[in-house]
Amino acid sequence: MRAYFRNIYAAVSTILIGMRITFKEMFHPSVTNQYPYQYYFEKRKNVRGIHKGFRGQLYIRMEDCIGCKKCAMICPVDCIYIETSRLEKGITLSDTRAVVRLKDQTVWIGELLEGDEKIEPGTVVKLRDLDGNLHESPSEHVEHVVTSKKRRLKLDRFDIDMSLCMFCGLCTEVCSTSCLYMTQTHEFSTYDRASLLFHFADPSIYEGLTPDETETKAEDGADASEGRKQKAARRRQREETA
Amino acid sequence: MELLSSLIFMLVIAAALLGFVMLLALILVLAERKVSAYMQDRVGPRRVGPFGSLQTIADAIKLLLKEDIISLQADRKLFILAPYLVFVSSFAVFAAIPFGRNLIASDINIGILYIMAISSVVVLGIIMAGWASNSKWALLGAMRSAAQMVSYEIPLALSILSVIMLVGSLRMQDIVGAQSGGLFSAQNRWILLDNPFTFLAFFIYFISALSEVNRTPFDLPEAESELVAGFHTEYSGMRFALFFLAEYANMFAVSAIAVTLFLGGWSGILPGYTFLNGVPGFVIKVSVLVFVIMWLRWTLPRLRVDQLMSVCWKYLIPIAFFNLIGVGVWILIFD
Ligand code: SF4
Ligand code: SF4
Repeated sequence: MRAYFRNIYAAVSTILIGMRITFKEMFHPSVTNQYPYQYYFEKRKNVRGIHKGFRGQLYIRMEDCIGCKKCAMICPVDCIYIETSRLEKGITLSDTRAVVRLKDQTVWIGELLEGDEKIEPGTVVKLRDLDGNLHESPSEHVEHVVTSKKRRLKLDRFDIDMSLCMFCGLCTEVCSTSCLYMTQTHEFSTYDRASLLFHFADPSIYEGLTPDETETKAEDGADASEGRKQKAARRRQREETA
Repeated sequence: MELLSSLIFMLVIAAALLGFVMLLALILVLAERKVSAYMQDRVGPRRVGPFGSLQTIADAIKLLLKEDIISLQADRKLFILAPYLVFVSSFAVFAAIPFGRNLIASDINIGILYIMAISSVVVLGIIMAGWASNSKWALLGAMRSAAQMVSYEIPLALSILSVIMLVGSLRMQDIVGAQSGGLFSAQNRWILLDNPFTFLAFFIYFISALSEVNRTPFDLPEAESELVAGFHTEYSGMRFALFFLAEYANMFAVSAIAVTLFLGGWSGILPGYTFLNGVPGFVIKVSVLVFVIMWLRWTLPRLRVDQLMSVCWKYLIPIAFFNLIGVGVWILIFD
């Protein structure tokens, strides 16, 4: 008999406890993140944004690609299509820019002043970026350094089929010049699958290039490396003044 | 001629009530979605119309436009009849609910008995739907609902009986009249506060009524997680909408009956205080009860079948009997 009434008491009291909780919960602000209208809510309620290192849409800095096709080869789904051709004799392209990636995913792009691809502990890595700002970091914080490379190939085609891509990021990891990278863009749905084939090759960067006389001579001559050095120095100067 | 005019009059009243029930369902569905959303820290519908107020209308239109599927194996005649039976019997309850002093479609002298009788027909409709669907989910849901509704009708009737004993009439307006004193007066108080036994009777009524209308925690007939959708699994489009409409109409009806029987009906909270007298007061009281029903739904988990039966037969029915005797003794001694 006692158990009977205790049972009733337990049922009623626990129901009341539950009802109190749900009633209190009614006055809590909602946690819904109204996705397409998110921006406004993000500002007002400080909703968490996209993380650093998020793997979104692929993007490539075409002027830094050397056409090595490493990315196309490692891609597990073979969705990168690259076609290259040799440069006409005498035409040289600018060297690629160096890239330093820190462990907190900050990326600096520009001209490497100190440091190497092999990151020695206890040294510093120094880089001047395209705006002329100097960046410096102890090598413990550096994750990845890519030095400047020569560009010898012309890219006629560089297509990535994002409808096949599975966002594994392997292509960005092997890229010789770190010019292929993943952005935070994730809203690129289309109504048509074909429009997910992104064309990155840009013929305009090869336009207006004429065979450089001195360059050709230097290339032919014994001191080819000398000429190259001169050219690099000149370019550096140009960039500095600009 | 006499007959014709009274027939037209009846039809007009029925149409008005039907419109009211439709409107009610629209409001209650939205209210339920909003209440559930707020209880779960969500925002609920808010895109269609201002603050989502037109969401239910959009849903209703969607349901009406959907294909009406009758499966080949179904018992066609019963399958078509069942939703109407369920809806009509829950709609007919509204005929005897007093909304105000003169606002009652038919103040018959057996009002509450009529309500009890006509609302029991719902169970026939549900069994019909379950059987005619020829689907195991629907049949299981229907069997459960039959067991549940038949069992819970007993405590429901017993708790209503204690009110009838006290008032001495089955007429709804008489029951309201017996509570005209409002909440605090010594005479003609709300039946809820008349004596401890009627206080208990209110809760017995409320629990059994929850079960009668298949609301959580007694929603076994439609338990989504076990039976897909219970007795209306095979229904689609318009016919499903009828079941849906009936559910919300029922929810309002049981709250309205609870208010009429125990909480003073349309009469005001304080005697002579006119603001909450009549329809506004009635609507407020009913809305509070409807809110409590929704609140319970979003708080409590569903009972198991054996728990459901033990709640009824081991707890509610003995207590209701004891209560009925208590009310009788109280009337003998004090009145
Ligand atoms: S991220 Fe996409 S394109 Fe790059 S390797 Fe993976 S699947 Fe291929
Ligand atoms: S790995 Fe990098 S540098 Fe090589 S082809 Fe691909 S994008 Fe160009």
